[in-house]
Amino acid sequence: MLLNVNELSLSLKRAGKYSKILDQISFQVEEGETVGIVGESGCGKSMTALSLMRLLPEKALLEGEVNFQGEKISGYSKRKLEKIRGNQVSMIFQDPLTSLNPLHTVGTQIEESLLLHTKMTKKERRKRVLQLLNDVGLPRAEDLIDEYPHQLSGGMRQRIMIAIAMACEPQLLICDEPTTALDVTVQAQILELMNKIKKETQMGIIMITHDMGVVAEVCDRVIVMYAGKIVEEGPVLEIFQNPKHPYTQGLLDSIPKLGQRKEKLGSIPGTVPAPENMVVGCRFADRCSHAMDICRTVHPPMIGIKENHQTACWLYEEGDEKDGSIGSHKLEAALH
Amino acid sequence: MALLEVTNLKQHFTSKKGVLAEKTIIKAVDGVSITIEEGQTLGVVGESGCGKSSLGRSILGLVQPTEGSIKFKGEEVTEMSSKQMKELRKDMQVVFQDPYASLNPRNTIRQILEAPLIIHKIGNKKERKERIESLVAKIGIRKEQLNNYPHEFSGGQRQRIGIARALTLNPKLIIADEPVSALDVSVQSQVLNLMVDLQQEMNLSYMFISHDLSVVQHISDKVAVMYLGRVVEIANVDELYSRPLHPYTQALLSAVPIADPLQKRNRIVLQGDLPSPANPPSGCPFHTRCPMAVKECASIVPNLEEKSPEHFAACIRV
Repeated sequence: MLLNVNELSLSLKRAGKYSKILDQISFQVEEGETVGIVGESGCGKSMTALSLMRLLPEKALLEGEVNFQGEKISGYSKRKLEKIRGNQVSMIFQDPLTSLNPLHTVGTQIEESLLLHTKMTKKERRKRVLQLLNDVGLPRAEDLIDEYPHQLSGGMRQRIMIAIAMACEPQLLICDEPTTALDVTVQAQILELMNKIKKETQMGIIMITHDMGVVAEVCDRVIVMYAGKIVEEGPVLEIFQNPKHPYTQGLLDSIPKLGQRKEKLGSIPGTVPAPENMVVGCRFADRCSHAMDICRTVHPPMIGIKENHQTACWLYEEGDEKDGSIGSHKLEAALH
Repeated sequence: MALLEVTNLKQHFTSKKGVLAEKTIIKAVDGVSITIEEGQTLGVVGESGCGKSSLGRSILGLVQPTEGSIKFKGEEVTEMSSKQMKELRKDMQVVFQDPYASLNPRNTIRQILEAPLIIHKIGNKKERKERIESLVAKIGIRKEQLNNYPHEFSGGQRQRIGIARALTLNPKLIIADEPVSALDVSVQSQVLNLMVDLQQEMNLSYMFISHDLSVVQHISDKVAVMYLGRVVEIANVDELYSRPLHPYTQALLSAVPIADPLQKRNRIVLQGDLPSPANPPSGCPFHTRCPMAVKECASIVPNLEEKSPEHFAACIRV
């Protein structure tokens, strides 16, 4: 196992009060596997990524365990953690323009992690940088190495970000909305590049996105988050074809799909609750058309629907494999 | 007669970088002709910098077009006096992308919705109040919330308020510039459904500008695809999405990630980036990235031609 996250919780201080942003998140990433984390804004997907590497504001309260390659990195000192960041675990962020330093050349920025984490000579580093620029599909690497981020287009900048992340051949790559700021034809280029990298390396990838299309294209497994909790997890095909949690179903239903035109899109009424006034029971209950009494009082535990497919919803019981729609005896029982 | 008829519209901007630099002309919109019928939706798609927003802004008269004609209900808009323009604005309204930036944070929702009525001197205080209350009922916001400020609403609610503001004067045409791009999908679908309902109820026409091909497909009757200031293809929505003719439209459609892991496609991945509109390629603006380009494409500027009934494309190769 590459990464094992166990009951990770995060509280941040907002307006003088701590509020829980993440609530007991547990998941695993295997070698060579791409795990997608999806959900709408404010569900905690980016905070999950930042918490793994402890890139958090000063007064953040982090609980739970993060194990990377069998080592408990959640207990590491800052110093020790820095040895892993950018070396064994790399990150790619959404906005390549703000994540690149405008004052340094592309070459210097890619070289930085090599300088920090390896004992390469200057010549070796330059060779590696040129090779990386080639690997991410950038032309005229020899010139590019001395150019500044503002001279490049959005797609090229994101390729530079990927080159920086790949510099030390990490075992785990965390991508936070890597294609959201890009145009669709450029997004297609970047997704193709990511799929190529995925095939060539045995790297584990965590792909954070709100775009179900991106998930369908690159992920092996999907984690659906809602209001700081994982509500469903399963193999990508299973999540798309047999979604169980009403939130996952609603999310998939509200996307207009290319090539299929329908009169009315599904939608989920209401909005995500704010972390300051989180409810006791299931956090989705207020927006859920299947909500029962128990949903408002007790939070549903994560249960296995079938192998590798889990959901946190009172509509189901352990090992409860049913067809896509909710419409079983249990729903009837709940209504009566 | 079409509600809106735009012929050969050009919107050029001059930009000057630095004191000594030469002026460059950016052809944001370069000879666009479109029509919008009453009660219909024209979707305008394209990537950033293709001129779709500039097109919307020059139709609205927010910028003075460089050349061309805009006819609204048969009347030439570009030659109107400012008094006539004010009248026109009752019929032509706008919804912006960012629901956070487009509502004044110091005004209550009531003040925001009442402003257009006051400006156009419509109704007395009581009538205005009734009009506003019936409007917010349509967009699913409670009467009691009218005295709240924009920050007290979520993004989706704010965008609905933006739509209500555009509707206060009973317009014929709404130009919506990326109205759902800043919203999460579940909220996006709420707003899209609302726009469709309102269209049927009030016989509205929309010009729906967006970069999102699936959203445009959902809401439009007719779709225009733009590339570097030009319309490269225009057709009815089902025709365009099922039989795209222009290589750019084909590439654009094949690039959209589909939310279905089983659907495998032959993706056309375009090389390179969008050229700068300040320095567009010669001939067909798309020829530098086009997988089908031949030598002639670098010199011939293709005209928008009817390739099959009601289906126009600007390409010499189809």
